[in-house]
Amino acid sequence: MTTQLSVYADPQAEAAGAVSAVVASLPLSFGPAPDGPAVSAPDVTAIAGHAGWTGRSADALRNGAKGVVVSGPVAEDPAELIAVADAAGSVVVLDQQWAGNTALAPAAGNVHSVIDTALQDAVLLDSVAVAAPGTDPVHLLTDQLAVLVQCGITVRNVRMVQQNGNGYTVAGVLAGGVPVALQGILTSALPATASLTILTSAGRADVVLPDPAAAWPAKVRAVTTEGATTLPTLYESSHRTSWSRAHSHISSGIPANDLTQFTSVMSLLSQLTS
Amino acid sequence: MSLIQTLIRTGPAEKLQLLQKRSSYYKEVSNLSSQAQASPALLGVGILGAGPVTQAIHLPSLARLGNILEVRHIMDVDPAVAEAVAGRVGANFSTSMEELLADPAVDIVAICSPHQFHAAQVIASCRAGKKAVLCEKPFAMSGEEAAGISAVSAETGVPIIVGAMHTFDPGWLAAEDAWGDLPEQVHTVRSSIVLPPNPRFEDFATEIVGRVPLPGSDTSDPKVIKAMLTGGVMGLAIHDLPLVRRFTPDFESVEVLHAEIVRPFGYVISLRAGSVTIELRAAMNATWEPSWEFEAIGNDAALRIDFTPSYVHAGSATARILSEGRTTVLGPFGHNGYEGEWRKLAELASGTGQPPSAETLIHDLEFALAIADAAAGRIDANPVDAGSAASSPADQEVNA
Repeated sequence: MTTQLSVYADPQAEAAGAVSAVVASLPLSFGPAPDGPAVSAPDVTAIAGHAGWTGRSADALRNGAKGVVVSGPVAEDPAELIAVADAAGSVVVLDQQWAGNTALAPAAGNVHSVIDTALQDAVLLDSVAVAAPGTDPVHLLTDQLAVLVQCGITVRNVRMVQQNGNGYTVAGVLAGGVPVALQGILTSALPATASLTILTSAGRADVVLPDPAAAWPAKVRAVTTEGATTLPTLYESSHRTSWSRAHSHISSGIPANDLTQFTSVMSLLSQLTS
Repeated sequence: MSLIQTLIRTGPAEKLQLLQKRSSYYKEVSNLSSQAQASPALLGVGILGAGPVTQAIHLPSLARLGNILEVRHIMDVDPAVAEAVAGRVGANFSTSMEELLADPAVDIVAICSPHQFHAAQVIASCRAGKKAVLCEKPFAMSGEEAAGISAVSAETGVPIIVGAMHTFDPGWLAAEDAWGDLPEQVHTVRSSIVLPPNPRFEDFATEIVGRVPLPGSDTSDPKVIKAMLTGGVMGLAIHDLPLVRRFTPDFESVEVLHAEIVRPFGYVISLRAGSVTIELRAAMNATWEPSWEFEAIGNDAALRIDFTPSYVHAGSATARILSEGRTTVLGPFGHNGYEGEWRKLAELASGTGQPPSAETLIHDLEFALAIADAAAGRIDANPVDAGSAASSPADQEVNA
C-alpha cells in the first residue's frame, strides 16, 4: 500500500514547481500538510530553486522533513546540503526542467541505450537549449549541463566561446576529441526545449526534452543504417516525475544521487565561469 | 525508298559510301538541331564544365524546363565527357570556352568549371554578348575579382546570378515575403547541415560519367584541417551565407570565434557579426537521412527553414515563421532552388525580372571569404580548435 506523504510548499516554491497541480496528480502518494510547517514538519517540503536553495533545503531537513524537492535549482555549491542530508538520512530531489524528464530517468534503459550507442560512434554532439528572454543565461547553462550529466556524457575541455544577453555558445570535446557544441538561446518564439543531437558515422540520435509547463512528451529518435526508430512517448512533466521519485526514495530508503550529479554540473560550470 | 531498302539493293562499297554520307548528314542535323529548334520561345543554354554538378544538377533541372530553355552546347576539357554529356541532350560539344562562346545558339552561359576559372569565364561570357550568365558558387576567389566582374557586368549590361541555390528556393522566397520586421530583431542564426556523400544523391539524379574519386587525406594534418574548413565554408556553408547575411546588417564586422572540423567532413564554426550570434554546423557522414536546417531567431519571432537535399528534385524548402504562439507554414512548393535559378535566368535573358545587385553578390562573396579565411586562420592561432581525434581519411568533399 502506498504511504501518503504530507507536502508543504511556500508561494515561491509553488510558483517554481506547480506543486499543487503536481501533487493533485499523485493523490495516493501525497497530500497537503494539514497544519502547515509551523505546527509540525511536513514529510516533504518543496523548495524554490532561486539563490539560497541549498540553505533553505538544509533548514527544512534540520526541521524534520524526510525530504525536499527543489524546483529549478540555480548554480550553487551543494556540499553543505549533501552533509546535512547524509547526516539526517533524508532525500533531496532536484526537479530540473529537462534532466528531470522521465525519458532520462535511469529506468529508461531504451533511451540511455540509444544515447550510449550513438556516443560510441559519435562525430559531433550538438545541443541547443531554449529559454524565455530574461532568463539568467547561467541558469540556462546549468540546466543544459545537467542534461549531459544525466545522460552520462563526459565532456572535456569545455570553454565559453561567446555569451551575451541573448545566449551563449560553449565548445568542448568527448573522449577521442569528438567536437561538442552547446548553445543557449533566449527567445519566446520557440518552445523552451533542450535538444541533444549526436551525429554518428552513419546516422544520428536525437533527444528533445520539453518544457515542463505541460506534460509534453520527450522525443527520442535514432537513425542507423537499418532505418529510423522513434521510442515510445511518455506524457509526464519533469515536475511530476521528480515528485514520484521523491516518494519512491523516501519510501524505499534508497538515497537519491541528485546532489552528486549536481556537483558534476557545478564542476563543469566552474571551468566555464572561472 | 527507305535507307534499309537502299542498303539491301546495293553492293558493299556503295553501302559504306551511303552510310558515311548518312552519318555525315546525321552529324550536320545534330549540329544544326539546336538552331532548327531555336524558336523565339526557347533560350539556348551553354555549359562550361560537364562534371557531376552539370550532370546531376543542371541537366535534370533544365530537363524540367524544356518549354523555355534548351541545352545547345556543352564544353569540357575532357572531350569524352563533353561528347557523352552533350549527347544526352542533343547539344554541340567542344573542349574550349571560346568555341562555346562563339556559338550563336547559346543565349545563357552556365559556368560549372573549377573555382579558379570562374572569374575569367564570367567576364568572357559577358564580353561575348550573352543574355545572362549563371556562375556556380563561388563566383570569384577574391573581392578584387568580384569587383572586376561587377564592372564588366555593368559595362556590358549582361546580368549575372550566382548559383547559391537556397536564395532561389521558393520556400525561402516565400518566407522573405512574409517575415515582416523579423530581420530587425534576429539575434541568433543557425545553419545545420547533415548530408550523405554526394554520390548518393548524384546517382539518384542521373547516371554520372567521368566521376573522379577524391584522394584520402590525413585529417590530423593542420594543412588538411585548414583546407577542410576553407572548403566547407566556400563549398557548403556558402549556400546559406547569403541567407545569414540577410539577418546580419553588420556583416563586415564578422568575427570567427571558434572553428573546428567534423570527421570525416564537416565543421563547427561560431561567429559573431555585430550583435548577431551565428552558429554553423555541418557533417557529411554516411547517413541515408539528410537534414538541412536554417534558423533565424529573435526575441519573439523566429524563422525555421527545412531545405531539401541537393541534386534530387524533391521540391522546395518548407519555411515556418513562429510568432506570438502562431506558426505560419510556407511551402513546400513544387520546385527547388536549382530550378529556381534557371527560371530566374530565363526571365533575365528575356529582358524581364531584376538580377541581384552587384553589391549583393560582392558582399555575399566577401562575407564568405572573410569567414573561410578566419576559420582557417584559427587553426594557426589556436590549435585546440582542430580537435584531437585520431587521423582518418578525409574522403568526402563538399556538396555543390
